[in-house]
Amino acid sequence: MSKKKSVILLVIYTLVIAALCFICTVSFSYGTDNLYTFSSVMRMMEKDADLGLAYGANAEAGAYLGGGYSAVYYPEGVISAKEYADNIEGMSEDEAAEYAADYVRYPDESGSVYLEKGIACDENGAMTDSFREAFSSALATVTARYAGLRVDGARVEAVGDYAIGVFLPAMMDGEYTAISLFAYTGELDVRSGSDEASATSIFTIRPNQTIRDYVQRVTSRTGGDTAYVEFVFTDAGREALATATAGAADTAVTLYFFVGDTSVLSLSVSEVYDQNTLYISGSYTAETANTVAVLFSTALDGTEEDLTLTPADAYFHTALYGGSALIMLYVAFGVFFVAMMAFFFIRYRRLGFVHLYTYLLFLFAMILCGWSIPFLYLSVETFLAFLLTSVLLCVSNAVTFESARREYALGKTMATCVKTGYKKCFWKLFDAHIVVAVIGFLVYAIALTSLQTAGFVLGLGAAFSGIATLAVNRFGWAVMMGTSKRQGAFCNFKREETEDE
Amino acid sequence: MSNKRLNLLSVWAAVSAVLILAGIVLMAVLGFNTSLDRPEGKIFDVHYNVVVDLSEESRSSLETYCEDAFADAGIAYTDVVTLEGQSDPVSPDQGAFTATGNDFVLRYTFAADVSDEALAAAKTAVEASIAGDEAFLLPAETYVSYDTFTLQAMNESMWRGAVAVAVAAIVALIYVAVRFGIGSALTGLVACVNDAFLTLAVFAIARIPVYAFAPMLYAAVAAVLSAIFWLIRCMKLRDDAKEPSAGTFSAEESVANAVRATDKIVWAVAGILLALLAVCALCTVMTGAAAVFAGALVPVAAALYSSMLLAPALHVKVKARFDAMKRRHARYEGKKKSVKANQEN
Repeated sequence: MSKKKSVILLVIYTLVIAALCFICTVSFSYGTDNLYTFSSVMRMMEKDADLGLAYGANAEAGAYLGGGYSAVYYPEGVISAKEYADNIEGMSEDEAAEYAADYVRYPDESGSVYLEKGIACDENGAMTDSFREAFSSALATVTARYAGLRVDGARVEAVGDYAIGVFLPAMMDGEYTAISLFAYTGELDVRSGSDEASATSIFTIRPNQTIRDYVQRVTSRTGGDTAYVEFVFTDAGREALATATAGAADTAVTLYFFVGDTSVLSLSVSEVYDQNTLYISGSYTAETANTVAVLFSTALDGTEEDLTLTPADAYFHTALYGGSALIMLYVAFGVFFVAMMAFFFIRYRRLGFVHLYTYLLFLFAMILCGWSIPFLYLSVETFLAFLLTSVLLCVSNAVTFESARREYALGKTMATCVKTGYKKCFWKLFDAHIVVAVIGFLVYAIALTSLQTAGFVLGLGAAFSGIATLAVNRFGWAVMMGTSKRQGAFCNFKREETEDE
Repeated sequence: MSNKRLNLLSVWAAVSAVLILAGIVLMAVLGFNTSLDRPEGKIFDVHYNVVVDLSEESRSSLETYCEDAFADAGIAYTDVVTLEGQSDPVSPDQGAFTATGNDFVLRYTFAADVSDEALAAAKTAVEASIAGDEAFLLPAETYVSYDTFTLQAMNESMWRGAVAVAVAAIVALIYVAVRFGIGSALTGLVACVNDAFLTLAVFAIARIPVYAFAPMLYAAVAAVLSAIFWLIRCMKLRDDAKEPSAGTFSAEESVANAVRATDKIVWAVAGILLALLAVCALCTVMTGAAAVFAGALVPVAAALYSSMLLAPALHVKVKARFDAMKRRHARYEGKKKSVKANQEN
């Protein structure tokens, strides 16, 4: 490559790196009173709620978000002692006495809840076995629902043996939607009629049958920008649906999808529907469609005896790892970056710039993917996977440099030693990257939540590292070396010394 | 040293087997020490609804009342946070909570073994202190309560993670089998499985505190590193096998040569990773993330152990067996082309 061509390419290469660096890392405010803000890709990249600090595209500079929301589900027959105190405060003496007669403080005089006699406890204040059983069932259902959301950091706690505490990280568009919908208990039912109140079930469930004899499963799907809830009916369910919508061509029929006594969604049908699968899209996002599908899916095992739950006591929690965790991750990366570059510059002199450019391209490609791929976010787990692939890239580049150094020592020209060096280690590097990428993408395909995203980052990082070390690094080497007359000195390579006889 | 470690397969196998078996028993009986996720405990809440305005002084005096009450009751909390109350939107369609601006909870977390009697005594003391403080009469309504909580297990992500690591390791080693031979893949598979289980076993036996998601992440890291370290050995073994003198070496000599030649790079990669994780743990030492990085040192160490000791020693036996099979199935055992060419010259 001629020197002129090398300089032109190097300038273009440097400008591309500088532009990417600016886009990915620089944020600033501008305009009158700093009205407008230019947000870097790094800032816009979604972050794990555990890390705190600014989250999401609209976060203001320095805004503390992250964390999550907790709420407590109180079953029917249970109220918090605070609510009890609030209720009784405004009552007259007689009313208060009457009200107090219906409740017993639980589990003792200092307890945090009151149980309603006849519902949660007997006349003596002892919790009934039927309530205990119903509470265990409700706890299992709520746990299954939050697990079904597959949100990293979601948790469900039993509060004593009388309430259910839930927590959702602030990584969703609608935490309240999930917390509110997941309080609905009871059996799934599909009803038709002119309005919710008068609608009747389209299924004729016999005593030895359940809703599962009519509805096989409920899932959510996303196609392009449209998310929808998918109902898969059995043949009996399909028949019932066809019967219910038989007159829809003349008069539109409205189907109401109930969980217990609550209508969750309605669907207007204007023709006979005679298929096993029913898709309902509406205005769902992938997240809300999943929430609704999880609710319906768990309601397939619901019963009329399920406890009614009331969500209350919602609070915002700060990030699990603390407010400075994200900054500290950046600091750790800075230390790694400085150590890496010190090694490359000391051992390879100006060849270190080739690695620097390659690494920066790899870094910015990872940042852009982290921002643009919807399910990716910056977390400790993904950071760990990114670091693993960074080490892979550094070691791969060092291996190619060392391979070329050995060839140079034998007396070959620089162009030949780069070519031979790459040839000798190509398949080694290829194998290493393929193995890591396969492991990463397979873990992504099978695992859930944080391990899933970490697996994807590992696979993606291995793919980028492979391209960077086998193609980008070689290109950069050719471009930068073309600007130097003393190519051996450029790379800090030395010839093997031979004694003259 | 190299040859000696290659002859101690039974020792390395016994060390791994003992640790893994003990780990499996402890995993089954006690599980992991997920204390970082607070699987159970007690919370002591002081709710305060700010009607007019509550000064910073009053807020801090609430904390003082609580801490005095805990000291008198002889109990110590593990964590304290102030939570901001959220109001419910009108309908689920609105999705997000909004801060009420006047509901707060001062929440203390205690270990599960703190007695209810002590908490009840603290509750009475805090209520008395608040009632005796005129600063709370007008501006705020307060309420004190305590509860026990038990985290519910969500096991799907755990078993899906385990399946993912197993499938990924097997598929990666099928690739190794295609590229480097079945013998190398078998040794690699044993090393991967050993490292993943050894990592989990160390966490189970040493009761190292981890977040619930972490054990499977560490098992995956161990499997990846194990595969990479073994791949480095395999590459050298294959390069050596192409040498004209390869046929003259026994399985033990071949493996010893490859191990000797690649020890440096394996140590270098492991050293870089250990240093990097240590730096990350140090940088995040004041945050909860430090535990994740510190824990990741274990899978690196496990992969290094099997790459240095177990896998090479095992591969001596595996390679010897495969070499013998190859010889049995060979129709004609002649000199290699390269050797013939050398002799002719």
